[in-house]
Amino acid sequence: MPVTPTTSPDADTRPGERPRERATDGALALSVRGLTKTFGAAQVLRGVDLDVRAGEVHAFIGANGSGKSTTIKVLAGYHPADEARCEVNGEEVGLTTRVAKRHDSLRFVHQDLGQVPELSAVDNIALSHGYVRSRFGAIDWKAQRELTRRALARFGTRIDIELPLASHSAVVRTELAISAAMHGWDAGQGVLVLDEPTAMLPPTQVERLFDVVRSIRASGAGVLYVSHRLDEIFALADRVSVIRAGVVVATYDVGDVTAEQLADEMVGEQGSSVRQNAKSGSVADEVVLRAEGLTGRTMRGIDLELRRGEVLGIAGLVGSGSEEVPYAVTGRLTGPRGGRVTVTDGSRPTDIPLVPGNRIAEGVFLEASVAENLSISSLGSISRGPRLSVRRERTVVADWIRRLGIAAPGADAPISTLSGGNQQKVVLARCLNRSPQILAMSEPTAGVDIATRARIYDLVTREAADGLSVVVTSSDPQDLVALCARVLVVRDGRVVEELAGDDVAEHTIIRAIEGISAA
Amino acid sequence: MSDLQTGPAPGGPVVTGQAPGGPEKTDPVGPSSPADDAEAPRRWTRHLAFSNIGAVYVLGALVVIFSIWVPQTFLTSATLYQVFNSNAVTALAALSVIIPLSARVFDLSIGGTITLTGVVVTQAIVKYELGIATAILLALLVGVLIGVLNAVIVVVLKIDSFIATMASGALLAAFTTMVTGDLDVTGVVLSQGFNEVGQFMVGGITLPVVYVAVVTVVLWFVLQQTAFGRRMYATGFNKEAARLSGVPTERLRFASLVISGGLAGLAGIVLAGTLAAGSVTAGTPYLLGAFAAAFLGATQLQHGRFNAFGTIIAVLLLGTGVVGLGLAQAPTWSQDLFTGVVLIVALIATRYQRAGTANATVGH
Repeated sequence: MPVTPTTSPDADTRPGERPRERATDGALALSVRGLTKTFGAAQVLRGVDLDVRAGEVHAFIGANGSGKSTTIKVLAGYHPADEARCEVNGEEVGLTTRVAKRHDSLRFVHQDLGQVPELSAVDNIALSHGYVRSRFGAIDWKAQRELTRRALARFGTRIDIELPLASHSAVVRTELAISAAMHGWDAGQGVLVLDEPTAMLPPTQVERLFDVVRSIRASGAGVLYVSHRLDEIFALADRVSVIRAGVVVATYDVGDVTAEQLADEMVGEQGSSVRQNAKSGSVADEVVLRAEGLTGRTMRGIDLELRRGEVLGIAGLVGSGSEEVPYAVTGRLTGPRGGRVTVTDGSRPTDIPLVPGNRIAEGVFLEASVAENLSISSLGSISRGPRLSVRRERTVVADWIRRLGIAAPGADAPISTLSGGNQQKVVLARCLNRSPQILAMSEPTAGVDIATRARIYDLVTREAADGLSVVVTSSDPQDLVALCARVLVVRDGRVVEELAGDDVAEHTIIRAIEGISAA
Repeated sequence: MSDLQTGPAPGGPVVTGQAPGGPEKTDPVGPSSPADDAEAPRRWTRHLAFSNIGAVYVLGALVVIFSIWVPQTFLTSATLYQVFNSNAVTALAALSVIIPLSARVFDLSIGGTITLTGVVVTQAIVKYELGIATAILLALLVGVLIGVLNAVIVVVLKIDSFIATMASGALLAAFTTMVTGDLDVTGVVLSQGFNEVGQFMVGGITLPVVYVAVVTVVLWFVLQQTAFGRRMYATGFNKEAARLSGVPTERLRFASLVISGGLAGLAGIVLAGTLAAGSVTAGTPYLLGAFAAAFLGATQLQHGRFNAFGTIIAVLLLGTGVVGLGLAQAPTWSQDLFTGVVLIVALIATRYQRAGTANATVGH
């Protein structure tokens, strides 16, 4: 079967740099052409072309919002595509419907592994494939255990299959999830999609997972390996495709490409040049907050100093420790934690408002109104004696609705009727309404539309110019570039680099969090 | 009453067919301007909407039905007084659980608390010959202490409140039996003053109805009008979001159980006064009735939030049904049947009503 050269709409715009397809052996296990997907008015996928050969590990990378997850979800049947042509082992497969399972030869292991940690390996395998029944309809536990052992033997996993999964290591759980996904699969005849399988793995267990992936490749199957981590791609993959703005912009043989090139492809041309101007303003020398030796689940000793009027960025991959920083400096971390946070004006860290990273789980009260969501952190200031002043609350809320352009049917409307971007504005208003000196933010633009994103950048920048100091973590380098004059890079729980001035650019940030030394 | 908690205008027209998930769902200018003058006339219809006070309409329908069914006995002032007087303890029990429930904390020990505090107050008078006021204070203190005990188990030791208070309820029952030898506390002295706590009449209404009125107003004020109440609801809606926005969630959960312990103690004292005895089993039947009324009450007035006046409406609805069926000499199982049907229908109606508002509320 001839190999189709991978091209893309804007592939021709930057000629010469990209070594195209190198014809090697291996039939196509999966071929996707012209995959488009629109949510509302936003076209998320603009014609994705993707080939996975039998017997290869094909890495699939892209920045947040590039369309990477959407592509996987369409393949898995979770979203229907608008248009697409797809072949699995040369056999036509429709992608335009929503189904529980696309094709028996397409198997998926999602990032959360889809397991129930309270249940045993036996039960977890049965959950995805049903229990073996005896003649009378009861579960045939003996056969079920045997089946579980066989599935686990594939990768030499040796565990007590009756123990709850939570008692096993992360890599064992991942192996089990892969085993479950491959259950009853005629190996070598299809594609296994692994969605960021190492995101939750400690570094010491990653190599063991790689061996599992290599053994699957050796069996002749194709592996589509979704990852954020460039180092893994060079350790494991044969080819790599980069998706950006809904289009696969390049496919390389891994031997023919450098990490720098991949980082550049992920960011694109505009990334390096787009710089916000307002942020390099007036940062005083005065330190307003000092954190020393912060530790947590993933932080392993982080120090930082925040100055008046500064927006300090914290960059890092998921699991690097960066995501814990805003919670730690505001005294809101739960679980294992250590270190010291000093606010120089003597106030308590817990008085610093926090914009949490997960809006639904940690941010909004879906059953409450816009007004109640907005005022919850400053009820004292809208009370007269013991009684809440509804009039004062209305004034405050109306003021913020106007200031941030919150699109809401009214202050009394349930916040669940607002779009994600507008909910996020309410959470931000909740924090700013306390007129804080310091603000902590985690993923401030996650799931937020472009217009709101710009508005949030603008607002934070203006508040900082008025003396607000901000600590912000984001897995989206664009946030940090737009907001920060200084960025601390966190890897493996420690600050490994400090970027300032012109170094605060998407390329440099991505290289730094991946640990690629600057060229 | 505060208009803030009422959410979308339930009586207003409901716009269907809105595309869900669009980034800008409505015109931000028009409807978001606060406190329109146009809102004032709409408030009345909004408050009187079936979705807001459906139970009141059902109560009206019940009155009509019973008036036709048993005209001689039902439509009398005696019936009215009976509905009020016979449900005062149920109302107190129901009111005692709404603060914890607002914070999504269950207090299933109130049955045990009611029994034990009733025994304590009567024992103190009969056996230890304490004054009535001292005995009442002692019993209230016991109720509060039970609340503290529950709070330590639930909040400090982080045990799920449902099972923890079920367990402590069992402990209270065991303790009650242990100290009384499973014998009710009786004595002539109980009918010489203490009984007035539960039996004193003012124009056909007994004192317990007055306590209920006072507690209702206080709880309404606390839940609907103070920062404390707002934070309590926030804790119940999303504990993590509340904690991260600076609400002292664990302290509030602790306080909620202390409050329910104290109020259940009050219910126990009142019940003992009504009976002029300390019964070793009297509290148990009030547990389910209290939760039934609290949950039914949450469907009234505040759109899914546990609240004091809604709870009272629920107690009256359930109480009227039970009294009416009694007067009609319907079989005794019909009373449980009535309670069960009303609860299920009310909760289903709320669910569908809320699903409706979630899908299509935007715009007026």
